[in-house]
Amino acid sequence: MFCDEVLELVEALAAGDLTPDPRVMTHVQSCAGCAAALAAARRVDGLLKQRTAPSAPPQFTTRIMGRIRRDRWRRDQFLDLGFNLTVGVVLLFVLTGFWILLSQSGLGGISHDAANILGSAVSDLMHRATPSLPLYLAASAIVATALGVWWWAEKDA
Amino acid sequence: MQPVHEHELVERCRRGDEGAFQELVNQYKDLVFAIIARTARDASSAEDLAQEVFLRIHRGLPYFRGEARLSTWIYRIVANVCVQEQQGRKPVTRSLDEDSLDRRAAPLGATRELSDLILRDRLEKAIARLPANYRLLVAAHYLQGVRYEDLAEALNLPLGTLKTQLHRAKRQLRRLLETELK
Repeated sequence: MFCDEVLELVEALAAGDLTPDPRVMTHVQSCAGCAAALAAARRVDGLLKQRTAPSAPPQFTTRIMGRIRRDRWRRDQFLDLGFNLTVGVVLLFVLTGFWILLSQSGLGGISHDAANILGSAVSDLMHRATPSLPLYLAASAIVATALGVWWWAEKDA
Repeated sequence: MQPVHEHELVERCRRGDEGAFQELVNQYKDLVFAIIARTARDASSAEDLAQEVFLRIHRGLPYFRGEARLSTWIYRIVANVCVQEQQGRKPVTRSLDEDSLDRRAAPLGATRELSDLILRDRLEKAIARLPANYRLLVAAHYLQGVRYEDLAEALNLPLGTLKTQLHRAKRQLRRLLETELK
């Protein structure tokens, strides 16, 4: 056998994945280079077996369970948003259809008067609420700030 | 096919049993972490990558059909995470002579323990120079209980091809460590 043929086999021989062929072993015994290569391959195999296996850090399970819960929460939030948007779009279609139906059925005039009455009631309510507008704005700003801080805290989690 | 215990564990996880998933994490965390720590170039990112593996396991469990063993499926996810991590990094060329454990700096007549320490250090550096897929094979195969057959199934490789690739990886290591092994 030639050296290059044997050298292709030394790793398999060293790992015990190949049954030693008598011709191969005869060549190894007579060739210093191939014998050294086989010894080196066995040494590499031994070193690899001795490598220590690093263990997971002590709090690994706790950290991964926390990450899983946050991931599940984010996915649920995404689903909720999708659901709410879908309901909103469907409602819009329904209202549009209802409005078209009203217009074409001649009830548009009645609904227009009803809208005017509702509009003046809302306007009256706004006039009554206006003195308290700065208070409402301040409360809205506080709520918006709290939501912003909560979003910022959660976004990197 | 999965053993009965594995099948029950997967079913409990699918039903949203958090305790079952925690049990799964505890069962596989050391194996996953060891392969990742030995394969990833950057040891500091090993925990993040291991967490990514379990996150993918959690997301993928509803779609896991149970045709392969759970451990095989997990190895596959580990391999994908390692390969994707490697694709996101620039190649690093490291000399075996870096750092303070340079062989030339060792005093004449160094003790056997010091020689072994130097050789193990150079082995790690040599392994770091292997391609990512070879590093994964070397890391996974030399962990206790990871058989050729399990690895071949996880990586979708014929058994013969897997063994050939592993032998090539070790041949590269032998050549990189040629001086040290004489």
